[in-house]
Amino acid sequence: MNSRAATIGGYIAGFALLFLIWHLAALYLVRSVLFPSPFPVFERAVVLIEDGLLQEAVIASMRRILQGFLLGSALGIPIGLALGSFRPVRLLLEPWTEFFRFIPAVAMITVAVIWFGIGEESKIFLIAYTTVFVVIIATAAGVGAVGRDKIRAAQCLGASKFQLFALVALPATVPYILTGMRLAMANAFVTIVAAELVASNDGLGKMLWDARLFMQVEDIFVALIALGLLGFATDRAFRLLIRAFAGRFNPTM
Amino acid sequence: MALVTLEGVGKTFRGRTGAWEAVRDFSLELAEGEFFCLLGTSGCGKTTVLNMLAGFEAPTAGRILLDGKPVRGPGADRGVVFQGHDSLYDWLTARDNIAFGLRLRGMAKAERRAVADRFLTMVGLTGQGAKHPSELSGGMKQRIQIARALANDPRILLMDEPFGALDAMTRAVLQNELSDIWAKSGKTVLFITHDIEEAVALSTRVGVMKRGPGGTLKAVVPVDLPFPRERTSDGFMQTFRQVHALIHEEIHPHE
Ligand SMILES: Nc1ncnc2c1ncn2[C@@H]1O[C@H](COP(=O)(O)OP(=O)(O)OP(=O)(O)O)[C@@H](O)[C@H]1O
Ligand SMILES: [Mg+2]
Repeated sequence: MNSRAATIGGYIAGFALLFLIWHLAALYLVRSVLFPSPFPVFERAVVLIEDGLLQEAVIASMRRILQGFLLGSALGIPIGLALGSFRPVRLLLEPWTEFFRFIPAVAMITVAVIWFGIGEESKIFLIAYTTVFVVIIATAAGVGAVGRDKIRAAQCLGASKFQLFALVALPATVPYILTGMRLAMANAFVTIVAAELVASNDGLGKMLWDARLFMQVEDIFVALIALGLLGFATDRAFRLLIRAFAGRFNPTM
Repeated sequence: MALVTLEGVGKTFRGRTGAWEAVRDFSLELAEGEFFCLLGTSGCGKTTVLNMLAGFEAPTAGRILLDGKPVRGPGADRGVVFQGHDSLYDWLTARDNIAFGLRLRGMAKAERRAVADRFLTMVGLTGQGAKHPSELSGGMKQRIQIARALANDPRILLMDEPFGALDAMTRAVLQNELSDIWAKSGKTVLFITHDIEEAVALSTRVGVMKRGPGGTLKAVVPVDLPFPRERTSDGFMQTFRQVHALIHEEIHPHE
């Protein structure tokens, strides 16, 4: 059996085991209407999909994540590169990044809502906020980690300052950037749910909140599973991307 | 006129632990086409001398001239082969690594590919140009480094213990190849090693350094033996013993 088939087989078996344990727990251990077994949850999921409600929520949440994430990365990568490359920029901006990264996006929800209302802007702001600092720090660390001999080798092959940056520092930093983006993506999931719980008209967070209000326990589980699967799929996609770029760079990543 | 002139070159490092005089009053002239081996005990300042000549570090005393002009920083006229292989670009193929300097100069893709393939053959890696550094052995990586430096056609090749991390067999093979390449290309080479046999096998002159602090050139031994060198010949043994005696005094100074 090749390793890809083994991986996929492992995933399927792992999930099947999870659902089996869940089923047994619901049947024999907890035995409460507040903890449904997998089957009513799946039935509910089918209904929600047929009505188009689940897709709507998923698309709303994912669109926000994607927009905020791309915005945050688009800001974070150049700032991180500048921070890692130029000492004055580092001295100036490092206090910012060191300060803001300890103020979690979740704590910014209230300000975001006051500033931007409960529409798309506040969510995109929060996701961009949670993304940007992680990406900055990872990118700057990547620039700092470019081997001295790689720079020197290019210098004595005649590289200009710009060529050093574009042809050595930048490609050497790509795996770090992608790793930072992957971490940021995980944060984005946490943030979007919290933001939608507090202030939103749609999305998975809103679905969770409404379900709690009306005691639709199955809906809660559907939303939770959807989040898990989406996060899992996005993270896998990122891992594949990092492999594709970095596999040749650094076999340990 | 000498290709390279070092005149009373010194280097004192200043850091948190105070000042450390690594090299003192180092003077040497290298003629075009010679293969000069710099030999010395660990920490005597060999790499420091090479780094100053490469332009990575500035001397704190004396001056360094290349073609009569002072060295101010690194440049394409001095190709460097580094001790480790961290200097290769992991994201490029072997061929693109070799062609990197040509790419910096804006040579067209097809043309630099042809040049790179020629140098791949020169270092015995014909047909392996599509591999990435992570797919190459240690000896192959050093070959790529040598090819990369040569493809850029520098005035002088600076090599810092390029075979230091290789097993004895691979080292011997690469020594022979380097000797052939040097004979064919006529390049001037400054080669650092602490392996006496390697120095005698490759060079036209061996410079032995005094140990630090204040490492300096202590003696220069000409090696007038024909190439290819016969390592068991009387002449080889004699030179070996001569250099060995000079090094021995540095390792055991009080005997
Ligand atoms: N950047 C630096 N700062 C302070 N001291 C340094 C620095 N670089 C080298 N030295 C010191 O200078 C001396 C010479 O170092 P160098 O690397 O030139 O030795 P070497 O002859 O190349 O040794 P080896 O054979 O082990 O490579 C050493 O004592 C070292 O500690
Ligand atoms: Mg050294």
